[in-house]
Amino acid sequence: MNAAAWTCLLLPLASAVAITIAGTRIPRRTAAYISTATTMGAFAAAVYAFVVMLGESPEQRAHATTSWTWLSAGAYHFGVTLLTDQLSIMMMLIVSGVGSLIVAYSVGYMDGEDEERRYFAYMSLFVFSMLLLVQGGNLLLLLAGWGMVGLSSYLLIGFYQERASAIAAAKKAFVMNAFGDATMALALFLLIQHTGRLDYAGVFAHSPHGGAIANLIALGLLGGALAKSAQLPLHTWLPDAMEGPTPVSALIHAATMVTAGVYLIARCHTLFENAYVVRDLAAGLGAATLLMAGLIALVQTDIKRVIAYSTMSQIGYMFVGVGVGAYPNGMFHLMTHAFFKALLFLGAGIAIHAVVGEQDIRKLAGVGKLMPFTKIVFLIGSLALVGIFPFSGFFSKDSILASALAAGWYGQVLFAAGMVGALLTGIYAFRLYFIVFTGEPSAFAREHFHKHHGQEGPLSMRWTVALLAVLAAVAGWLQFAPLWHPLTTWLAPVAAPTVEPTNTQEWVTSILGVAIGLAGIAIAWAMYSAKRIKVPKPVTLFERKFYWDELYDALFYRGGELVTQAFSSLVEKPLIAGSLSAVTGAFGLGSRELGLAQNGLVRSYALALTSGIAVLAVVFLAAR
Amino acid sequence: MANFLVWVVWFVAAFACLASALAVVSFRNPFYSALALIGNLASLAVLFLLLSGEFVAAGQVLVYGGAVMVMFLFVIAYLGDRTEDSPRSGGPSWQVVGAVLAGGAILAEVIVVVGLTAGGFLSKPQQITRGFGSPEAIGRLFLTDHLLAFEVTSIVLLVAAVGGVVLGSHARQLESSGDARA
Amino acid sequence: MRGPDIQWYVVLSALLFTTGALGVLLRRSPLIILLSVEIMLNSANLLLIAFSRLHGREDGQIFAISVMAVAASEVVVGLGLIVALGRRHIELDVDKLRTLRG
Repeated sequence: MNAAAWTCLLLPLASAVAITIAGTRIPRRTAAYISTATTMGAFAAAVYAFVVMLGESPEQRAHATTSWTWLSAGAYHFGVTLLTDQLSIMMMLIVSGVGSLIVAYSVGYMDGEDEERRYFAYMSLFVFSMLLLVQGGNLLLLLAGWGMVGLSSYLLIGFYQERASAIAAAKKAFVMNAFGDATMALALFLLIQHTGRLDYAGVFAHSPHGGAIANLIALGLLGGALAKSAQLPLHTWLPDAMEGPTPVSALIHAATMVTAGVYLIARCHTLFENAYVVRDLAAGLGAATLLMAGLIALVQTDIKRVIAYSTMSQIGYMFVGVGVGAYPNGMFHLMTHAFFKALLFLGAGIAIHAVVGEQDIRKLAGVGKLMPFTKIVFLIGSLALVGIFPFSGFFSKDSILASALAAGWYGQVLFAAGMVGALLTGIYAFRLYFIVFTGEPSAFAREHFHKHHGQEGPLSMRWTVALLAVLAAVAGWLQFAPLWHPLTTWLAPVAAPTVEPTNTQEWVTSILGVAIGLAGIAIAWAMYSAKRIKVPKPVTLFERKFYWDELYDALFYRGGELVTQAFSSLVEKPLIAGSLSAVTGAFGLGSRELGLAQNGLVRSYALALTSGIAVLAVVFLAAR
Repeated sequence: MANFLVWVVWFVAAFACLASALAVVSFRNPFYSALALIGNLASLAVLFLLLSGEFVAAGQVLVYGGAVMVMFLFVIAYLGDRTEDSPRSGGPSWQVVGAVLAGGAILAEVIVVVGLTAGGFLSKPQQITRGFGSPEAIGRLFLTDHLLAFEVTSIVLLVAAVGGVVLGSHARQLESSGDARA
Repeated sequence: MRGPDIQWYVVLSALLFTTGALGVLLRRSPLIILLSVEIMLNSANLLLIAFSRLHGREDGQIFAISVMAVAASEVVVGLGLIVALGRRHIELDVDKLRTLRG
């Protein structure tokens, strides 16, 4: 069990190191295969650990293994501890499983790319970092993994180094995540101060209940979660992160990294239960985000941006889930979302790959007619996204909303927001589907579409997408809350839900969710496919992404500029630079003035002598 | 009567001294300045005699007048006609002012000192014997109390002689090698 | 003592010294400057002899003889320099001889 845990964690790291050291000595394909093989190996190890765990009784399932003591200072000891329990094994399976599929997909997608080796090294690094995050047995390792996934995200967003927009996006992502890292670190400081430890069991047992400190700790953790999961107000980096290659967007910015915030809240739910205000805040921000992102997605014209805002919106759902206390439901939606969102991204990737990298949906219009396979899988993904029975999103998303309904008046407000969000999801998801994958191909698509060896895309891209389509279709059947809920039972020892919706609420929510989703699809169909309703002019507010970028620019960038300019002109130039030039000026002045006496004329030296003698004589005589 | 004569001699000598000194610093032709200095030295020798310094007076005439001034006249003759067009310092005008002031200050100081503090003190010269200032007395002092000064002075003269030879030979070497830097 | 008292000699010496000093400061030819230095040295000699007479001891005269010897040496070296300058046809003008300029 412990060996399996270490294998799972270290295989991707070994791959990253090996590819980096081997450098250009290995062919590009080899680097791709190394990365794919190690990620699949990590998945195999995770599966093995899971199987072993199935055979154990619930109390036995938490395995902690410490390798060595990392930090030791006075009374504080922090070790390199891996924790393999019900929650982390779920995340390990998702990360390594979906990760393997996406890395395998990349073999075809990145084929022929000059920097292919660097890409796969970074991907392996990312998988390792994410596994470290979820397998870490104490908050310190979680923070280490947290930072490293931020680094991997930066490296991969900015993969196309020649593009200034990519570099800028990478920096933006990193800086915003750094802010979240800082708040998390502050929370950890408070925890150390008040409990003296960072391992999960100890922290959860000893952290303060209620009060300002508990609120601050939870707030700090929430800050990190908001930044990593791109929720309001730290969300502006996610759409820009689409500058990275499409598999990166799928893996990091849909399936795994951005869900780390949800994982954090689920894992540290005790700390959030000690600070109900902050937990409610998390749910509220999730709801606000899901609405805002849904509105913005209605007017986006870049296929990846639509899916990115969709991700933001769906993570909002997850935040609502864990925010009201339905941790297993939130995690369940995390899992299904990983499948169908990766499917959507990778399917879009096939289309992008086939039409010379074009991402504008107006130019890609109708390409579905030329790519039937992609059209089908994209349809499956979109249906799962909207939450239509029997696809996976139905089971997970509606269970979250049912839990919200059961969580008091505040939960009911969130429920309403979630339903509106479902309508928006239906509209924007099928707007995308109808524009790109139905109807006649645009002139651009017809002109630039090219097949790959007679097929829509390379084999590696097709089989991975097909597998994801199957998962997106059937994974939801794992849990249907009113009838069977093995996942909740599985996770209960680690993250027991604090709210239990009644069966009535569950059924009502499910039926309502499907109905509203279908209504959204119908509206989209009427606007974009049948063209019965005229498409309204895009609302500027949505197009400008609610002006968040402009706000941050004015607040932080301009503000920072003002401060530095003030310092430069008031402090640096006069005082610091000025003092230096004053010193040199004084020296120059002094030497110039004194130098007047050194004119080489004997007579002036003699005059000086004479004057000196005269003065001395007066002094001597006065002294007598 | 003898006192009166001494006064007259003193005034003549003093006048000649000052006049020749002023002549030295005023003449444009260095030859004339050198001749004026000879006059200055001679009048000073007279004053020494009045002060009973016979040996010193003789030495003044022999050494200064007979050796130093001859050297001067040789060099001036060798250098040729160097009559200056504008002998005064062409330098900054403040030099002139400063120089005059400095000179005047020294003069004033000395006169004040003399007048105020040493007035009574200076008017009581000691009684002296016949042998005062004679070669015998000087020689005895040189070889007893001031032997060190005597020896050191001779070394100084040696050094000067060597220096003169070096300066002269160096110049001759360069000239013979055709170096004519102006 | 017959004739003027010592203070007369002192005043004369001062006047001579001032004259010599003015010559050093105000003349351009190094020859004249050297002659003026001689005047200053002689004025010091006069003072020495005068005070030697006042105190009735010949020590002042010994000092004066040493001064004479040193003055002679200094004239030798100074004239040697001037002759060297003259040989190189450098203009004998202290305003132009400024290589000591710092």
